[in-house]
Amino acid sequence: MSRRRRRSLSIGLFSALVVALSVGLFAFSAYLIGLDRQIRARFAGARWALPAQVYAAPLELYAGLDLSATELVHELGRLGYREDPRLSGTGTYLGSRGRVDVHVRPFHFWDGFQPEHRLAVRFDSAGVSAIERLDTGAQADIVRLDPMLIGSIYPQHGEDRVLVKLGEVPPLLPDGLIAVEDRHFYEHFGVSPRAISRAMLANLRAGRVVQGGSTITQQLIKNFFLSSRQTWGRKINEAFMALLLERQYGKDEILEAYLNEVHLGQDGSRAVHGFGLGAQFYFNKPLSELQPQEIALMVGLIRGPSYYNPRRHPERAKQRRDLVLGVFRDEGLIDEAAYARAVAAPLGIDGGGVGGVERYPAFVELVKRQLRGQYREEDLTDEGLRIFTTLDPRAQEALERNIVESLPEIERARKMEAGVLEAAGVITSVDGGEVLALVGGRDVRYSGFNRALDSARPIGSLVKPFVYLTALERPGEFDLVTMLPDEPVELRMPHGQLWAPRNYDKAFHGPQPLYRAIAQSLNLPTVHVGLQVGAEHVLHTLRRAGYTGEAQPLPSLFLGAVGIAPLEVAQMYATLAGGGFQAPLSAIREVQTKDGAPLSRYPIQVKQTLPDGPVYLVDWALRQVVLQGTGRGVYASLPRGAAVAGKTGTTDDYRDSWFAGFSADRVAVVWVGRDDNQPTGLSGSSGALPIWSRVMRDLGVQGIEPIEPGSIERVSVDPVSGLRADEGCSGAIEVPFMRGWGPRTWAPCANGPGNPLRWLREIFG
Amino acid sequence: MPVRALLYTSAVKTDKATVCRIAAVLLLAAAAGGCASSQGTHRVWPKDEQGVIGRPAPPVSPPVPQPVLPGVAGEEALPEYPRTADEVSSAAVTALMRQARAALDSGKPDQAAATLERALRIEPRNYFVWSMLGQVYLAQSNYSQAASVADKSNALARGNVYVELENWRTIAAARRASGDAAGAEMAQARVADLERWLYAPSAP
Repeated sequence: MSRRRRRSLSIGLFSALVVALSVGLFAFSAYLIGLDRQIRARFAGARWALPAQVYAAPLELYAGLDLSATELVHELGRLGYREDPRLSGTGTYLGSRGRVDVHVRPFHFWDGFQPEHRLAVRFDSAGVSAIERLDTGAQADIVRLDPMLIGSIYPQHGEDRVLVKLGEVPPLLPDGLIAVEDRHFYEHFGVSPRAISRAMLANLRAGRVVQGGSTITQQLIKNFFLSSRQTWGRKINEAFMALLLERQYGKDEILEAYLNEVHLGQDGSRAVHGFGLGAQFYFNKPLSELQPQEIALMVGLIRGPSYYNPRRHPERAKQRRDLVLGVFRDEGLIDEAAYARAVAAPLGIDGGGVGGVERYPAFVELVKRQLRGQYREEDLTDEGLRIFTTLDPRAQEALERNIVESLPEIERARKMEAGVLEAAGVITSVDGGEVLALVGGRDVRYSGFNRALDSARPIGSLVKPFVYLTALERPGEFDLVTMLPDEPVELRMPHGQLWAPRNYDKAFHGPQPLYRAIAQSLNLPTVHVGLQVGAEHVLHTLRRAGYTGEAQPLPSLFLGAVGIAPLEVAQMYATLAGGGFQAPLSAIREVQTKDGAPLSRYPIQVKQTLPDGPVYLVDWALRQVVLQGTGRGVYASLPRGAAVAGKTGTTDDYRDSWFAGFSADRVAVVWVGRDDNQPTGLSGSSGALPIWSRVMRDLGVQGIEPIEPGSIERVSVDPVSGLRADEGCSGAIEVPFMRGWGPRTWAPCANGPGNPLRWLREIFG
Repeated sequence: MPVRALLYTSAVKTDKATVCRIAAVLLLAAAAGGCASSQGTHRVWPKDEQGVIGRPAPPVSPPVPQPVLPGVAGEEALPEYPRTADEVSSAAVTALMRQARAALDSGKPDQAAATLERALRIEPRNYFVWSMLGQVYLAQSNYSQAASVADKSNALARGNVYVELENWRTIAAARRASGDAAGAEMAQARVADLERWLYAPSAP
């Protein structure tokens, strides 16, 4: 009886145990399967969202390029090349007076792969004189350097990275990483009981957490899935996941994933993940070119990217780096001599301040806007696209420097509060529509409000060339020497009020030839001309030049009461510079997939939107602006012989100061003003013009050599009468006219045949 | 915002779908003997290259033509215009034009266009380069751009009849292909005139 009961009890207990065990086992399996699925999804699938990488235009080297040896060395420095007499690796150079040797990095250009190669670039007084390939001794006609990485398009949650492969990283990186973080990485199975017990012991002794027992596998799991919140549950999850990960994947795969995943720093909202981006972010060069001390610094950062932040805590970072270097040496990864060299080396952090990859936020913003028309947001943030842009780092540098340096000068000279002025600037090519440089404000590293794109301030007198162009399209009515009245005018506006525009100097100058009205930027003649041709037609001309806004065809348009962003102003002036051919502005040349396959191109597009003859006449007048008009100041910076064309712009009460103009190969627009739209006291000539002309000077301005269209003829004109002149007239000027519309009547001063005054002059001398 | 509208869009893109799909399409196109290959092969140029004017001179014309000016001035000699790009271009631009010509001849107009754009960045007013770019657009069936770019070349050519002849051929072909028969005929008449002036047998 009791025996039977006991037996049934034990059977019951046993069954319960079996059931419990099965249930437990089942639950445990389900738990493991769940974890396993998460791991596979994360690891095997799209492992990382790869932000699009944005590149500047590459520097093209060829005989005849206007670039000195010093400038080339400066360019190489910006690309993160370092001086090395032996040119031992890629990204090195050796500079001397007349010659610079370069070991060029390999690069996947849009149109093909260019392997690494070594060059000797020779210079004479004019610039680059010859390029020799050191590997073959052959002369090269043209060679590209690898372009600078200027930014990336990362998603809202801010993870940015540049993917690397284990086989391509310097061996010291994985070896050193293992030596410092997980010495038994290749032996353990995901967790290391030895390391854990050692860490527990150390922590107990110290009474606080001084050591972590996490393996590289566990750290990877932590980076992959988990927040920084550390609970026992998470620790257990982490351990099981590490075991499963090790079962699924090889050690090298895990190590490679770690190299790309580990968090190495923070740049505002952008999280720097992986050693590939880390190398760019801290040292402005590819990972493959890092020196032992640079690798040591990044390996050391893993423990605490913000605590050891080398930009903020250089002392702390150096201590940590040197400690890691000591481990490298003790493990035999570097010899004593290399250790000594490395410890003596400075931190070598890129001086960009905010980091090598976020140098030109305003330009990158323009790139993003252009891309968003064509690509979905995820394509840009996840697919690792390579975007090749039109940014010319030399032009960008010149524009930034001159804006950053000029504003404080102006503020000091005019006793303004420091920091009150703002500015924006754009540089484009003349014929191809490429945006070469863009500055959105005086804080050039700030990625916020972009005045070059988003601030539409009244353009003032910048509109005048388009008013006169409209007039010059009517050759019977207007030419460059047509006398225009400079008289008061009153206009009834739509709301009934009267508008009485005045000249800037509030004076009247009597009748003025049309070209001088442009050159001196007189308001009243412009209003008279505008009224004669009609606001509708002026608006139409603006549109043909590239204006896309919604201005009303009102007389106030003639004096530039229309807000236009600097970028669009550049588009409009580029159409004038290009002889009436408009090339829609673009910041992108090509897009490539992450594997280097071509994806799309943004080819040059041109269209003649304005007639060549009248544009030629306006361009001639714009050259008079800088020769004798409101733009004379440009020759304070530019060589006297450099022919440029441009226009000042000033708005009511000196709220906006503009200068827009062009040389043979560059269009540039500069705006200076205040964000609160208060008067600055600056005219176009005193605010924007000096910046414009210094930028042009620094870019090695090339003078315009106008090509006269067939629709143009040249006539010598007496400026007093506007009639045909000859050697008898002093001060005669040669003026272009639409062919067949030049003056036929001889001026009173002329000796021309049939001039009744001729014999009189002959008598009286 | 005007800026956004300003930056439309000139991408030559096949598909609005995902990037991967686009890449696949491109790969397929390449596999099907199409155009774009991702790896630029390094070309070795023949030693005795002919000039890289847009197109070989018309085979019908005699090798040593005696150019004469149109109409009234039939007796006058033609001004000495450069006939090939090599005469006015730097070594770098000449090299790029050869590369572009080779890419165009081997059915890679995209590559050719990209290479010509490099040349234009060095010499933006080289009308030979613009002229060849017009032919590349023609090969890409981008007829409006072919004609526009040829116009641009003409505007820069300072009356160089050799280049103008090439450009009018491009314009005629582009107009024909885009269904503008009347315009094509006008352009063709220009071509015929220019050919007559350039290649007419010399006056006795």
